Amino acid sequence: MFLQQIFNWISFQLHILKNILIYLLPAIPMTIKLTLLAFALALILGLLIGLSRLSQRGLIKAMSKIYVDVLRGIPLLVQIFFIYFGLGKILNLNRFLAGVIAIAVCYSAYLAEIIRAGIQAIHKGQYQAALSLGMTPYQTMRYVILPQSFRIIVPPIANEFIASLKDSSLVSIIGLRELTRAGREYYSQYFVDFQTWLVVGIIYLIMTLSLSRLVAWLEKKYRVHGYGIPR
Amino acid sequence: MAQNMIIRTVEISKRFGEIIALDKVNFGVEPGEVVVIIGPSGSGKSTLLRCLNGLEKVDSGEIIIDGIKLDKDKINIHKVREELGMVFQEFNLFPHLSVSGNLCLAQETVRKRSKPEAEKISLELLKKVGLLDKKDSFPNQLSGGQQQRVAIARALAMNPKIMLFDEPTSALDPEMIGEVLEVMKNLAREGMTMLVVTHEIGFAREVANRIIFMDQGKIIEEGCAKDILNSPQNPRTISFLSKVLK
Repeated sequence: MFLQQIFNWISFQLHILKNILIYLLPAIPMTIKLTLLAFALALILGLLIGLSRLSQRGLIKAMSKIYVDVLRGIPLLVQIFFIYFGLGKILNLNRFLAGVIAIAVCYSAYLAEIIRAGIQAIHKGQYQAALSLGMTPYQTMRYVILPQSFRIIVPPIANEFIASLKDSSLVSIIGLRELTRAGREYYSQYFVDFQTWLVVGIIYLIMTLSLSRLVAWLEKKYRVHGYGIPR
Repeated sequence: MAQNMIIRTVEISKRFGEIIALDKVNFGVEPGEVVVIIGPSGSGKSTLLRCLNGLEKVDSGEIIIDGIKLDKDKINIHKVREELGMVFQEFNLFPHLSVSGNLCLAQETVRKRSKPEAEKISLELLKKVGLLDKKDSFPNQLSGGQQQRVAIARALAMNPKIMLFDEPTSALDPEMIGEVLEVMKNLAREGMTMLVVTHEIGFAREVANRIIFMDQGKIIEEGCAKDILNSPQNPRTISFLSKVLK
């Protein structure tokens, strides 16, 4: 009798979890699309800003420093509000674009600092060797410095990628129907809070863990001879 | 000074803050000459080499390399560097590229040679420095002496008219110095114009046409190798040589 009750409870819970999952699944592609697009943009912007931070020209250097300081110093949530409700009104941005821009711009500031540090970590003898062979500063950066920096910056950039996937949930606040938003919708219809957020959390976890595996593979692939702890 | 100098400097000066690294240095190198610069550390020897290929900017004075005047604004610096091979104390091989990759990179990007052409030249040069079997190794798999020989081959691959050596054996274990000096001696015998900063007096005695002694940013004494080493005139040269030769 007692066992029967436990069995009924479990099967009821599983039924709820299954319903939640089915409800949430269609929202997952939006989270992925939002993160991938925003992060790709953030990488391009971050590289440009990071290189500007190392520029010989005072104005470019100063402006990139201001860019990093300002964007790194304001909460992403506030930036989302500002871009959607502020700039969005003027530029007529939809929710998706506003979300992409907010995440891209915010993360580009962090990435710029990581890329700058990765470039500065390369020994100055490497520049001197490349320049003394007649290579231009651009060729030196492209063929000698960046390939070596890449190995250094992959782990911290991966951190930011995973963080940006989680932070994409903030865009739910302006009504973009991604994973977190779908979770809120389900909750407000059926009032099952514990189970809903459990499923949402697990889906995020599955996505971030998959990313970690991908990064571990990348790190192995771009390993540079002579660096790191020998195995 | 003769007009056919391949390197010529006129009154070049360079300061690092309070320290005067070069103090109105005038000197020249003729084609085919092997010139060795000696002197205590901090005497400006390395700075002089770095100024010649524009890795450091001079504060005043003129540098003329193979008839091209080095502009202060560095516009023609790449042209000049193509003619100057440089070998560093710390080798500075590119750790992410194989030995042959190290030799090919600048050939392809600067000299615009095709990959097969660059590889062919690389193999010839590796054979010359005795490292043909290491062409697919990475720098960290080589000993210091081997790395420095690769670095010499990498500079030679650009067909420079002049080779600059900045203390090429100072970072090496004693038993590896010989193999690097051997490569340099062969190069000298082939008639390469060389400017070498080194503490290897034996090398200077054997291959240098001329020795320059520098101290505190100035050329104190210069002359043919035998004269400087056997009968130095300036008291500072005498004191330095007595310490080095022991």
